[in-house]
Amino acid sequence: MRISLNWLKKYVDIPISDEELVRLIGARLVEVEEVIDETHKYDNIFVVRVEKAEKIPETHLTLCQINVGDREINKVEKNANGLVQVVCGAPNVHEGMLAAWIAPGAIVPASVHEAAPFVIGKRKMLGKFESNGMLSAMDELDLGDDHEGIVEIDPEMAKPGDTLAEVFDLNDLILDIENKSLTHRPDTFGMIGFSREVSGILGQQFEHDFLGHGVVAARRHGGDAPSTSVVTSGDPQKACSELLPTILIADENICPRYSAVVLEKHGEIKKKYLSWQDTILAKSGMRPIDPIVDATNFLMLLTGQPLHAFDYDKFVKVGGADKPKVIVRLAKKGEKLVLLDDEEVELNESDIVITSNDKPVALAGAMGGKSTMIDENTRNILIESATFSLYNLRKTQMAHGIFSEAITRFTKGQPAFQTLPVAFECADMLKEGFEISAVADECPKKQPKNVVKITTKEINDLLGTDYSTELIVKTLKNVEFIVVREGDGLTITAPEWRTDIHIKEDIIEEIGRLLGFDNIQAVLPLHGTAGRNTLFDLKRCLRDSLSKYGANEVLTYSFINGKLLEKAGLDTKNSYRIVNSISPDLQFVRQSIVPSLLDKAYLNEKLPVKKFAIFEMNKVYRKDLGLDAENVPTEKISLGFLVAERKNTQTAYYLAKKYVAKLFEELNIEAEFLPLKQKLPETLPFEPKRTAEIWVDGEYLGVVGEFKNSVRNNFKLAPYLAGFEIDLPKLLEKASSKKVIRFGQKKTEDLTVTTDKTYAEALREVQAKYANAKILPGTIYQAKGQKTRNITFHIELML
Amino acid sequence: MEELEKLKNELKKVNTEAAKVRDLPPEKRADFGREINAKKTEILQKIAEVEKALADQEVEPIDITAWSGVNEPLPEFYPTELGSKHPLMTELDRVAEIYQMMGFDIMESRQLDDEFHMFDSLNFPKEHPARDGYDTFRTEENLIPPAHTSTMQHRVLKKYKPYLDEGKAIAVAVPGRVYRNEDVDATHEHTFYQCEGVYVSKTCTMGQMLGILKDFFEKYYEQKLNIRTQPGYFPFTEPSLELLIEKPKNIGGKKGDWLEMLGCGMIHPNVLKMAGIDPTVYHGFAWGGGIDRLVMLKYGLSDVRNFEAGNLNFLREFEP
Repeated sequence: MRISLNWLKKYVDIPISDEELVRLIGARLVEVEEVIDETHKYDNIFVVRVEKAEKIPETHLTLCQINVGDREINKVEKNANGLVQVVCGAPNVHEGMLAAWIAPGAIVPASVHEAAPFVIGKRKMLGKFESNGMLSAMDELDLGDDHEGIVEIDPEMAKPGDTLAEVFDLNDLILDIENKSLTHRPDTFGMIGFSREVSGILGQQFEHDFLGHGVVAARRHGGDAPSTSVVTSGDPQKACSELLPTILIADENICPRYSAVVLEKHGEIKKKYLSWQDTILAKSGMRPIDPIVDATNFLMLLTGQPLHAFDYDKFVKVGGADKPKVIVRLAKKGEKLVLLDDEEVELNESDIVITSNDKPVALAGAMGGKSTMIDENTRNILIESATFSLYNLRKTQMAHGIFSEAITRFTKGQPAFQTLPVAFECADMLKEGFEISAVADECPKKQPKNVVKITTKEINDLLGTDYSTELIVKTLKNVEFIVVREGDGLTITAPEWRTDIHIKEDIIEEIGRLLGFDNIQAVLPLHGTAGRNTLFDLKRCLRDSLSKYGANEVLTYSFINGKLLEKAGLDTKNSYRIVNSISPDLQFVRQSIVPSLLDKAYLNEKLPVKKFAIFEMNKVYRKDLGLDAENVPTEKISLGFLVAERKNTQTAYYLAKKYVAKLFEELNIEAEFLPLKQKLPETLPFEPKRTAEIWVDGEYLGVVGEFKNSVRNNFKLAPYLAGFEIDLPKLLEKASSKKVIRFGQKKTEDLTVTTDKTYAEALREVQAKYANAKILPGTIYQAKGQKTRNITFHIELML
Repeated sequence: MEELEKLKNELKKVNTEAAKVRDLPPEKRADFGREINAKKTEILQKIAEVEKALADQEVEPIDITAWSGVNEPLPEFYPTELGSKHPLMTELDRVAEIYQMMGFDIMESRQLDDEFHMFDSLNFPKEHPARDGYDTFRTEENLIPPAHTSTMQHRVLKKYKPYLDEGKAIAVAVPGRVYRNEDVDATHEHTFYQCEGVYVSKTCTMGQMLGILKDFFEKYYEQKLNIRTQPGYFPFTEPSLELLIEKPKNIGGKKGDWLEMLGCGMIHPNVLKMAGIDPTVYHGFAWGGGIDRLVMLKYGLSDVRNFEAGNLNFLREFEP
């Protein structure tokens, strides 16, 4: 949303600098994404009078002599009559008109934000006619899309020599507002609501004229409708006109209120001059189009209430009845509708449609239908002013990809109180050409008054402030809350547009915000000490250790391609499947860490990195582990590790084992390495002949080993490859701070055993001989053709 | 091996059979072709499986109880200078450490959660558009990889409620990995890290929230800082704020450069109520902010995609 500060200033007195104002708006109302400086956009553009206009024969051009008042422009010569010569190509240029002249040296406003702004000069046309600057059209002024003719200015508003910027208040700062930061504040999507907040922030009482003033109307439901700001006077008989539309709302929840005002044409609206309203539309990011659309758009920008204009006669004809029957309902499956932009859409059952006697004529809140659109032959108009369920419109917006200014407002949940007054205001704006012939208003869902009782103490206690009751009352009244005070107790009635106020905290937020959260003193509370999170500490410790031994910590995605699971020999059926992922690479929740590391190993071997050890500690989930006590998938916290070298003919298993054993040693855990027997998701990629299960005190903790050839081939990795995966909570459970201290005089000797047994079996025999000694592994030698091996042990004895 | 020979012979037979298609009347050719192709695919699949099994069988067993291979030296760890910790984890550790110094317990966030914890327990009305704003991933079972660490708020409140009964405050920080279903570019990752803070006591105020957050960032950046706020909207806090800090000098900040660091606010009474805490007696505040951004700012990084790419040329730039 774009907010013109000049427009804002018509509603609020601003006693501070623009810079300070923008800061306060950012701190107390919304996120301001950007401040667009237009204070020089219209420099050197003047109001001029075309005194003479002569057609240049055989061209579409007109040679004009213009009166620039007492302006003297550098290098621009005036003729004897004090006039400046300009060649103009527009068909509507005529003597006596006031036009907007871009003087030589000025930048064409439409190009100010381009990389190379277009600077207007002085030049010779057709080789002989000197032309100074240009008489400009709406598009060149960046005020509209029209390029058919030049802009004409009302002689009652300006005289030759005036700057265009002053006449139309164009030297402006435009705030680009982040709409998301106002999701809950539909009322601020109109200038009135926005100004009210600014007024409140500045500590001023907000005042504005009620809408719909002077509109002679009567309502079908008499005083029934919750509209406080409508002046009803004049001839109530008119309401009984035969044109009176019937409104049927199928479900009050999809359409809390629907107001319709029918206007009958009695004359032409003369759209001749550039208006201030046109410039507001342009500055707000919209475009002037025609008087009816402009009136509805302007009122939406002013009030936040979107309006739609139907061709009344077409509306009645589509319905096949003699008077309009508006039925608001959910679309039916398979129903189709051709929209204003000529596109035929297939409706969903969550779309709300406006129907004429049950025939869809508009996609509610989103776009009107082709069959009832207004055109130059339109005699009667039906102005719709309604509110719809934001939930349904949100779905409509997504399903049909419609992101208009109107639906942006509807999806914030526009309040119902102002539908009729805004429609009346629209009628008033169009009174030059139309008069009200009928009014209907259906409001099935009454909005309850939001009343909150709170005390000054409660407000100060939550904010940590010391605001007086007087200040609190004034702050709320400034933005039109009704406050009844009884001592310290306040009974607060929220205005009708504040549908978001329900509980005490909502009032506390208003006070904190309007008086400035930044004025709250930051203090530190006193509270207890923190406990340890031992698993978090363990991870920190493992991270330190592994990286100290030259390993690199990586992070990989929790979701992986099904192919990756298959390459690692895992079953995709055991993975939770993501159904709405943007890419097949993120389709399955991973079951273990190591497959992701195999994937990253390929990338790194290709870089190339000659040798590396990578690890990751993260959470994994798989279906076979079922749900936990909270009914969510059981969580497994795992450490995965992988070592890979491009050129190494030795056995990778022993390096991976050395790493995992080091971790156990540091945590004072005695682990056993037993043959791989179990088929678990984390063991599946491993080769049973070259892999061990890790057991501690009769409990399985994880797996260390080399990978199946098929797995290694699938990942295209070099032969030197091994890894491990261990369960961290179990590791934590086994960890101990009890370290065996071997202090005193020591002696080390080597012992070599010739055996055909395994290392572990040989070790047990050695251990039996050397009680209390620390036995460390040495090398293993086997001569060619021999069955037996020589295993060397380093034996550390205490003396 | 025999099995492989058998399968290859079968394949030959099928190929010979396939040639007969020419002798058939045209109307029968399509069916015949389909049948033959199905057979072929089946045999090829079997061949692939057998070959895979054979490749796996070719493996020499090793003594898994030993510490080195036969006739191989004992393996050596890689040198420390090759090692590195992941910068996101280093930062997450540091953030958690500071919160711990400040008296906050650490509870890590889940990575697969449900609608209740992600939305319902956080006062998001059913079908509220605010739910769409989080662009969540979903599984077939309608489980949600959480889009914010606030998914843990309800658990924190329930787990630590006994503290309140003992007259203590709840003070917990929740680091964790979160997910948004969006396209990845230099500044957007679908996977990133956040840290949440939850504080509840009888006497807590918004002033205390601002005090804790200011203190945290001053400890983190090791210097005095200016903070400011702007109004925010989250269904689970009321009032809600965005907190900004003036960009610290030690990461190249100048006066007037502001950084949006996190969203925060007073915990909505409904959130407390759902966790069994009486909102008329206790109040709370909570906040959550991204970790990735802290790391990007610290090292002047411009591409968030490096974090989860697993590229060692990048990762080895960081300290062990």
